Amino acid sequence: MRAYYSIFRMRRRMETQYRGAVLGGIICQVFFGLILVAVYRAMYAGRPQSMPIEHVASYVWLQQAFFRMLLSNDPDLLDKIRTGGIAYDLCRPVHLYGYYYARILAQKLMGSLLRAVPMLAFALLLPRGWGLSLPAGAPALLCALAALALGLLCMSALENLTMGFTMRTLDHRGMQAMMNLLTITFSGNLLPLTLFPDSWQRVITLLPYAQLLDAPIRLYTGDSALSLAPGILLLQAVWTVVLVLAGCLLWRVNQRRLIIQGG
Amino acid sequence: MNTFRLYLKSMSMLIRSQLQYPLSFLTQTLAQLVMEAGELLAVTLLVHRFDHLNQWTGGDLYFFFGLMSVTFYLTEFWGRGLTGAFSGMVRSGQLDTLLTRPRGVLTQVLCSAVDPRRITCVAVGVVSLAMGSRMSAVRWSAGNILLLAESIFCGFWMVLGLFMIEGVLCIYSVKSVEMANTLTYGGRSACQYPVDAYPRPLRAVFTVIAPFALVMHVPASQILGKPVFGWPGWAAYLAPLAGLVVFGVMYTVFARAIRFYRSTGS
Repeated sequence: MRAYYSIFRMRRRMETQYRGAVLGGIICQVFFGLILVAVYRAMYAGRPQSMPIEHVASYVWLQQAFFRMLLSNDPDLLDKIRTGGIAYDLCRPVHLYGYYYARILAQKLMGSLLRAVPMLAFALLLPRGWGLSLPAGAPALLCALAALALGLLCMSALENLTMGFTMRTLDHRGMQAMMNLLTITFSGNLLPLTLFPDSWQRVITLLPYAQLLDAPIRLYTGDSALSLAPGILLLQAVWTVVLVLAGCLLWRVNQRRLIIQGG
Repeated sequence: MNTFRLYLKSMSMLIRSQLQYPLSFLTQTLAQLVMEAGELLAVTLLVHRFDHLNQWTGGDLYFFFGLMSVTFYLTEFWGRGLTGAFSGMVRSGQLDTLLTRPRGVLTQVLCSAVDPRRITCVAVGVVSLAMGSRMSAVRWSAGNILLLAESIFCGFWMVLGLFMIEGVLCIYSVKSVEMANTLTYGGRSACQYPVDAYPRPLRAVFTVIAPFALVMHVPASQILGKPVFGWPGWAAYLAPLAGLVVFGVMYTVFARAIRFYRSTGS
């Protein structure tokens, strides 16, 4: 376990290296957030919905703040597969799946925390209906944080699983783009899941994509009542276990049919 | 004219080289299709839930979205040298080689890359335009066709001009400057919806600084028969020219920046 923690720590340091790039990223993200909120506000002006606009605005800001948790790219592994560098990883005295799981986790966590704190502070200062509202209550906030943590574990497992699929082709860009689209659409980043047709919502909130951000945000704003929290957390835990197991299995099969490229 | 021939020749070479790996090309092109279709899906779902945005009906919204996709991705298709590869050239010092050749730098940058995968994004835009014009019952008179063509043409040069901002900043700072994305990609995301959806400061940005509103929304709203700023019909023919102005200004700035350029290479 200590080995995985060191991998996590190493990766965490790497993520905090480029502070200038982080600032540029934050400004971009804030701008996109403002644009999205403005569009939804204009839509709401014509036809108000059952869910108040404050919740939509909070949804947008939380999505923007934790964007890095959704899409992180770790091209190292795929590069290593192409160049044959994977041979070195196989020599390490750690489980290959665990090694990359720890890396992904660290990257997602640090990459987004660095950005999320200043962005959320900014969003809290914006006027009501434009910015981030306070959570529905202290218990709601705690549940949301727990759901975010579980969601992060779940999403990292999902990403490692898809990485297992992309490992099978040498050219991963096409596949990667498809996966990114699924993530962006069904996580609520493209459009808040709360604005999807109600009949769709019943299905897509059950998918693993919705676990990372949609589930915690609904708890935060109070769209999901507190009584639903245990069920949500359970679903996340089940997904995490299933995805980790599937991932481990796939990686083991991959490892067996691995061909080292290059010389 | 010679320059243009050079450009076409480079393009055909580059496209042929990309087609050398048909499977890879195909999957990536499909990925682009899925991505842009996702954006269209978002608009569809919004229309499904809200029905309209200010005075714009669903058909109008598809029309605006389509115009943006067609214009923006045509630029990314043919202007890939500027929209994608340029900052890397500055960082790696590759730009030096361009300075030694007897052609303009901008020409060579434009000749250096093409992105035919974007064709599917353009196609999604065309579908959206067709859908929108059908739903909003657009009458395709000669004037309207001219307006659409003018808007796309001027939009192409405007987007190219906006991407040059990043190129210029890159020459001065060597780093790639993510903030310039707010005008290019931010402008694309924002202005796929008509500009009057936004509060005054954002509206000003997209009318004066990055004039997406003048180049796209004024002519498009004229075609749809609901002028966005209430301007007379002839103004719709003049407004898109702002795109050419943006390109002209950025061209001068770019030429200056090139004189400042110091190589990073060894």
